[in-house]
Amino acid sequence: MAIHMLPPEVASQIAAGEVIERPASVVKELIENALDAGAKAITVSVEAAGQQLVEIADDGSGIPADELALAVARHATSKLQSADDLFSITTLGFRGEALASIGSVASMTITSRPAAAAAGARLRVEGGILGRAEAAGAPVGTVVRVENLFYNVPARLKFLKAETTERRAIDTLVTRYALAYPHVRFTLRQDGRPALQTSGNGNRREVLAALYGVDVAQQMLEVIFVEEVASISGFISPTSLTRSHRREITLFVNGRPVQDSSLTAALVQGYHTLLMVGRYPVAILFIEMPPDAVDVNVHPTKAEVRFRSSDQMFSAVQRAVRRSLLAHTPVPEVGSIGQQMWAVDGGQLAVDGGRWTVDGGKLSVDGEQSPISPPSTLHALPSSPLAPPSSPFAPLLRLVGQLAATYLIAEGPDGLYLIDQHAAHERVLFEKLTGARRGAGENGLPAQSLLQPVTVELPPASARLLEEQLPILARLGFQVEPFGQATFLVRAVPQLLTGMDAAAALRVLVEDFEEDETPLQAEIEARLIARVCKRAAVKAGKTLSVEEQRALLTDLEACQSPRTCPHGRPTMIHLSVDLLERQFGRKGAR
Amino acid sequence: MKVSVLQENLAHGLNVVSRAVSPRSTLPVLANVLIATDEGRLRLSATNLELGITCWIGAKIEEEGSTTVPARTFTDLVSTLPNDRVNMALNVRTQTLNVRCSTSNTDIKGIDAQEFPPMPIPDLANGISINVADLKEMIQQVVFAASTDEARPVLTGVQMMIHGNQVTLSAADGFRLSIRKAELSASLPRPVSAIIPARALSELARIAGDGDQTVTMALPPSRGQVIFRLKDAELDSQLIEGSFPDLEQVIPRNYRTRTVLSTPAFLKACKQAEIFAREGSHIARVNVTPGSDVQPGTVEISGQSEETGFNQTQVDASVEGDAVLIAFNVRFLREVLDIIKTPNVALETTADTSPGIIRPVGEDNFLHVIMPMHLGS
Repeated sequence: MAIHMLPPEVASQIAAGEVIERPASVVKELIENALDAGAKAITVSVEAAGQQLVEIADDGSGIPADELALAVARHATSKLQSADDLFSITTLGFRGEALASIGSVASMTITSRPAAAAAGARLRVEGGILGRAEAAGAPVGTVVRVENLFYNVPARLKFLKAETTERRAIDTLVTRYALAYPHVRFTLRQDGRPALQTSGNGNRREVLAALYGVDVAQQMLEVIFVEEVASISGFISPTSLTRSHRREITLFVNGRPVQDSSLTAALVQGYHTLLMVGRYPVAILFIEMPPDAVDVNVHPTKAEVRFRSSDQMFSAVQRAVRRSLLAHTPVPEVGSIGQQMWAVDGGQLAVDGGRWTVDGGKLSVDGEQSPISPPSTLHALPSSPLAPPSSPFAPLLRLVGQLAATYLIAEGPDGLYLIDQHAAHERVLFEKLTGARRGAGENGLPAQSLLQPVTVELPPASARLLEEQLPILARLGFQVEPFGQATFLVRAVPQLLTGMDAAAALRVLVEDFEEDETPLQAEIEARLIARVCKRAAVKAGKTLSVEEQRALLTDLEACQSPRTCPHGRPTMIHLSVDLLERQFGRKGAR
Repeated sequence: MKVSVLQENLAHGLNVVSRAVSPRSTLPVLANVLIATDEGRLRLSATNLELGITCWIGAKIEEEGSTTVPARTFTDLVSTLPNDRVNMALNVRTQTLNVRCSTSNTDIKGIDAQEFPPMPIPDLANGISINVADLKEMIQQVVFAASTDEARPVLTGVQMMIHGNQVTLSAADGFRLSIRKAELSASLPRPVSAIIPARALSELARIAGDGDQTVTMALPPSRGQVIFRLKDAELDSQLIEGSFPDLEQVIPRNYRTRTVLSTPAFLKACKQAEIFAREGSHIARVNVTPGSDVQPGTVEISGQSEETGFNQTQVDASVEGDAVLIAFNVRFLREVLDIIKTPNVALETTADTSPGIIRPVGEDNFLHVIMPMHLGS
């Protein structure tokens, strides 16, 4: 094939592909333009998750009629004069690519009027082809309407994620800008429904509540840290509030959302030893620094930046986080739900001073019966030297006792078994519940009505997820009704969960919803069941009566895959007689 | 300190206070029981800082004094002593308590009584007097409905409200509600409202003996405490802070079906259904069929599990209103029927999704609301 120059439309589509990769990128570029234009109010309207329409109206400085055509041309900008300016950029945009890129992959209409002009002007761009600028009546500011995004790039269209995912991405994006610019009034409408509304009064915590819900917003700790290198402000979660992923760590550098693994690591480092392995904080940090100390021109969507002195930044973020954490003395709350969960997660009860005492006090009577009976003779059964737990089934177990109110000790045909009571119970419940669920068919599991419905408020993103899963939840026994924007009424809970707080049970279900967790329905159900079981299973640190211990072992033996909990953690550890003999020097020792 | 007591009395006293001992506390003295001479009697006290119990027993005091000894050691020892006179003498310098009884001679190492948390001294003059038998029954009729989940602490308590001479105890765990009312012998000048831990009330019901006629309750203002004084014992508890949910509104004002049936027959049917239901869903189906001119109405109570099987019991009933099929958690039904003393009980229902009310027939001082269960969507 001969080498030839690409036609300009193709070239511009390819270039646009770098900047505009999904509907949320359109929203991002246009919001940044609006902010650069000094807008005090920004209204974003989205239809069909941005594929049909993204409209962003602002009350900023506007574009004069005679510059409209230039504005949509590639590399045309009012924000940069020379290459030197690149190193002292104070605006969010500077490349002059956004409008051109959007225009080349969608039908875009710009209507704008600067405050000084008597009338506005309108210009339409269709797949990169400019229409004629014509006079139009308009309020001061700019309205950019982007319709039929990617209509001429079928490949891109095909690779868009599910509408809900894209919608959530837009929700999250707008909320984060709203947080970064609390003095700007943001309104977001998705398919005509209001999804976010901030007052623009400068109160970040208010926006935080819109993003994470009131509960979480109240718990978040404020960070204020001013040093020579940078000033850092924002919010971080207390140690009791964690997530299983880093996605809720948001960093802004000079008002620009960035992804920076080193700063994220610094933030997590700030929590060092305060969080469980595999848990991450929720955080939003705004880092302000001189424009010449950071290079933003390294990534097409400007999602990455480079710092002149990244080591200093690392330590600044870490110290900022640490200082704020320590200032708010993270004493674990007694009986707080979060604590209970995490304590169980890692079985780290000893760390969790508060809980321990409470449990200790409560379980006084049981404890006196000294759960561990003196070991009877462990008769050595013939066993091959390196016997791994090969069979997927549980061996027949004889209960010996309970250890540290967390583990059961049992003797099997080939040695000693230590069983994690929480993991084991989780497995037992999981199999029971999936069995019951299968038996119940379309009718679903029995639900126990609540005396008074409980209202649960969720952040918008989770609320939308929950709304989608309502039918599945109903089959599991949760009767939940939408009750306003992001609020739900719980009317009934599964019988299995009657021992716990209904609101907490529901929250646990949506809390860790993965971004693209919409595979097969059956799998969602299994995951939800697993999550419910995790919550309902007996906690580590609970003294069990001998009957309870024995029943748990019997139930575990009956399980189909008793060796792991539904989340994959082992339920039992095996110490073979052979290993014990070696350890005691009876055999093989020299 | 030098005292002598009867083994029987000492064992009884230790049994009364033992439930307040906190053996695993970080404060070692809380695992101990306080032994002190008190105006011609011997005082035994234990506390876990939330709940404290004191018991006085008759003793011959030769020398005043006080100490604390490990509750478990002391209780185990006393329970094995012969039914005879027990002589106790304290060596103050070593805080060692010498216990002699017939041929047995023991030295127990203790902790100075100064380290024991002071027990509150109630102002009994302003206390509220309640008949012990009544209070015990009231407590039994509500405590079981209190929640055991620490996530909502107020629900682990029992709300006590006194208006004039009307006292109301209520407890709820989110799925059921028990309300018991009673009248006091005297009217109170100002209303009282407090949330008392269910556990403290259970203990009170346990230690209140038959010999006690009245119990005096004192709520020292702004101390967040309640103190119950019996003839020879005293129980103090921290109150639960917070506001109890207003549950009056969940009580249905009317019903469509009222079913009256024999309490023991209903209870027995529920116990049978539970044998099967407890393996699975815990559901008891209650199928109410109105009678006709020639035959009485019936209630069928059934429990089922896939693994164990199916059970159904039919109980004759007088049914007023429409037929209804409603499902309840069988344990909830059993627990409330267990504490209803009247021969007949009424079940008031409206629909299979609305709460059911259980009332003893012939007494209007008790009411229990149970939320139904649903079988899927």
